[in-house]
Amino acid sequence: MRDILRLGFDVGGTNTDAVLMLGREVLHTAKSFTTADVRSGVVDVASRILRDWGGPRERIEAVMIGTTQFVNAFVQRRGLAPVAVIRVSLPKADGVPPMAGWPDDVVEALGSSVHMVGGGSFYTGEEYAPLDVYAVRAAAREAAARGLRSFAISANFAPMRPDIEERAAAIVREEVPDATITLSAQLGGLGLIDRENATIVNASLADLGRKVVQSLIEAFAELDIHVPIFISQNDGTLITTDEAQRFPILTCSAGPTNSIRGAAFLTGLSEAIVADIGGTTTDIGFLRKGFPRETTAANYIGGVRTNFRMPDVLSIGLGGGSLVRQRADGAIRVGPDSVGFRLQQEGLVFGGDTLTTTDIAVRSQGIALGDSGRVAHLDDAFTEAALDAIHQAVTDGIDQVKTSSQPMPLILVGGGNILISRDIKGASQVLRPKHAEVANAIGAAIALVSGRVDRLYDLSSGGREGALATAKQEALAAAVQAGADPDAVEVVDVTELPLTHMKAGSVQIRVRAAGPLATLR
Amino acid sequence: MIKIDNATDIKDIARGAVLLGTGGGGDPYVGELFLQAQLKKGNAPRVVRLEDAPDDALVITIAGIGSPSVMLEHLASEKTLLEILRRAERLYGRPVDMLISCEIGGVNSMFPLALSAISGLPVLDGDGVGRAIPRTEMSTFSIYGCPATPGLILDESGNSVVIETVNDLDAEKVVRAVTSALGASVFGAFYPMTGAEVKRVAVNGTLTKSQEIGRCIREAREGSLDVFDTLLGHLNQDGRFATILFDGKIVDVTHETRGGWHWGRATLKPLSDADDVFTVDIQNEFTVARRNGETVTIVPDLITILDRESGEPITAERLAYGQRVKVIGYSADPLLRTPEGLCVIGPRNFGIDEDYRSIEELTKS
Repeated sequence: MRDILRLGFDVGGTNTDAVLMLGREVLHTAKSFTTADVRSGVVDVASRILRDWGGPRERIEAVMIGTTQFVNAFVQRRGLAPVAVIRVSLPKADGVPPMAGWPDDVVEALGSSVHMVGGGSFYTGEEYAPLDVYAVRAAAREAAARGLRSFAISANFAPMRPDIEERAAAIVREEVPDATITLSAQLGGLGLIDRENATIVNASLADLGRKVVQSLIEAFAELDIHVPIFISQNDGTLITTDEAQRFPILTCSAGPTNSIRGAAFLTGLSEAIVADIGGTTTDIGFLRKGFPRETTAANYIGGVRTNFRMPDVLSIGLGGGSLVRQRADGAIRVGPDSVGFRLQQEGLVFGGDTLTTTDIAVRSQGIALGDSGRVAHLDDAFTEAALDAIHQAVTDGIDQVKTSSQPMPLILVGGGNILISRDIKGASQVLRPKHAEVANAIGAAIALVSGRVDRLYDLSSGGREGALATAKQEALAAAVQAGADPDAVEVVDVTELPLTHMKAGSVQIRVRAAGPLATLR
Repeated sequence: MIKIDNATDIKDIARGAVLLGTGGGGDPYVGELFLQAQLKKGNAPRVVRLEDAPDDALVITIAGIGSPSVMLEHLASEKTLLEILRRAERLYGRPVDMLISCEIGGVNSMFPLALSAISGLPVLDGDGVGRAIPRTEMSTFSIYGCPATPGLILDESGNSVVIETVNDLDAEKVVRAVTSALGASVFGAFYPMTGAEVKRVAVNGTLTKSQEIGRCIREAREGSLDVFDTLLGHLNQDGRFATILFDGKIVDVTHETRGGWHWGRATLKPLSDADDVFTVDIQNEFTVARRNGETVTIVPDLITILDRESGEPITAERLAYGQRVKVIGYSADPLLRTPEGLCVIGPRNFGIDEDYRSIEELTKS
């Protein structure tokens, strides 16, 4: 495969970073601030990188973007669409209604309406009750009368019988032609509650998904770059803008995944601790076999349990904009509050009047950043004490993430990596690779394209081998469909779970396949 | 008596129930949410001490039966749970006075509480095994002379099947066949007992124990204390014995379905470079733990695998390569360790060709 010239972006809560890469080579990087409209921040940073490069923009073949816009919105309960939830399950499941375990504040913020209607299937795919089309229609009308346009539809064993949800969706569309509908089968896995939760979270992000993705598309139209745009999803692989717009939830943990994979790429290490030091927080993750270690327990997005596996990341309140204060007893406190994206106005070295961790770094290391004269007055003892506090916070965080006392390499990435100037206890070495400040955008630019399946397979026809082979074929086909190179795509993960209490054997199989982006033109 | 009036109280019981589930028993999550939904409606369950059951009371078990994976799709129906009580009363020809869990380990810690919240009937603080078990006849109720049947199974469509068998081995077979025919997730009402009987045959205080274990793990975590020190301190009480059998990572997990059971084995290695190999065999639950081939804990004593950082117990289905865990062994309730108990729930009943030796004997040598 020849090397593809592409732009990688990380649109974070504070910064928008970009990188121009040819194959494995980083040609140019740039950093900017994220703007409220997303678009102008992207245009700004892309314009600068293109100017630095000076080549013809029609040579660029792909754009890859990682963004935390959606997860931030859900966590902050901001810009969420009220959702009409329709669950097809009666007479089953009425004891555990949709959103049963959700935090009250999300339920309130969503102002959703919940409907349970008749229908559903056994694990065999056989229906135990027909879809109650009248109840679906009534639910759609009621929701429409309340002004709801975003629908989440779930049904039990939907991964086996996706048609039941699709029929319900068709009825909703008849009643509410402009409805945005998320079906649970589209979000994979067995386990109704977690799958349904993900469906509702996704539906609540529908408006925002449209807005953000459209503004990204506009940004590249404005830049006169007309190539496929891919968005990073949770496992670090890529999906299309169309898919991201319909399934913003798939992007929710792409941020930490990209920074950990970017760190792996930049250092060539496959086992290490990665600390991504941003403006407000430091996210510490564990790199294992070149991928982030994932959580083993249930995963929560803004307090809601979902079926998505997430990178296991510890977030601590330390970043380049963290406030540094001296308490009455003389002790130094660092963070967790931060000036965040206002660092360039409020930090001392930038002419502001708030003492931040960045000011301490400039004072102690003489880094050429802002006006170092503005921090010359800080006395040595104070600066040392602040440095102690900063390094202690990172040391403690790393110790929590590590699973043994054995020292491991520590990779520092993110714009705030300048805060760390000393050795860290528990780290065999501290690496600060070139381009560390844009590791996240690099993680987006090096991503593979993936496909996955997660459903029940019947063992009676082809046996276990037959079921596994079918599942692998389906996952490979899904990856190629998403844009992976058919010659390089491979199965990366297989999990099988047997089901007890069943007549014929069936087995739940999850397979994930991934491969590099196919040549685009 | 234990308090169950908010989500944290329920979660504590559920966490303890997973630990006592020794890898099996089904994830209590569905039951947990069911109870939470009842609390939101203002319906709280009521738990009474086993000792307080009147001798002439009619006590029955209420359980979700079937495949844990199917239950995660079909969840559970409030209407059906209330209906099974009505049908049980018709079958037994008199009102039911009290409920008890047949199995505290796993999801069936929750359904008697859920029905209590809906119906107002009290739940006794105890159960029929103090852990989780793969087969009906291994219950202390069965072992000490209270048969499972007559009883009944009910699905959400309203189909019910009354089961009356000559012994609990046959009851197990019939219940499995019926459950499978009805879609692999149903409710069952079994073990009609008098108050006098239940006091004799039940494992006492297990709802309380379950909540205490769950709370102990949560509070240690919240207070940044060592979860395992705190937990072991709690488990080593009242003549019971618990110890950490192994500390390491999972390097392999196999799963297969044979004869309607989930079989498998988890293999662990130390985090250091030592050569020790630790295995835990799975037959729905964890049955035997061996270090370098030497048995260190065997059924009916409990084996439980917990996340080595958070102390969260992990079910067999959720075990995966690379997890960092600690394995705890915990002596079974004395009712399971009698000659009568061991001839039903001893290693040979699980097809393991070795005699039972207590965890105390196996680990203190």
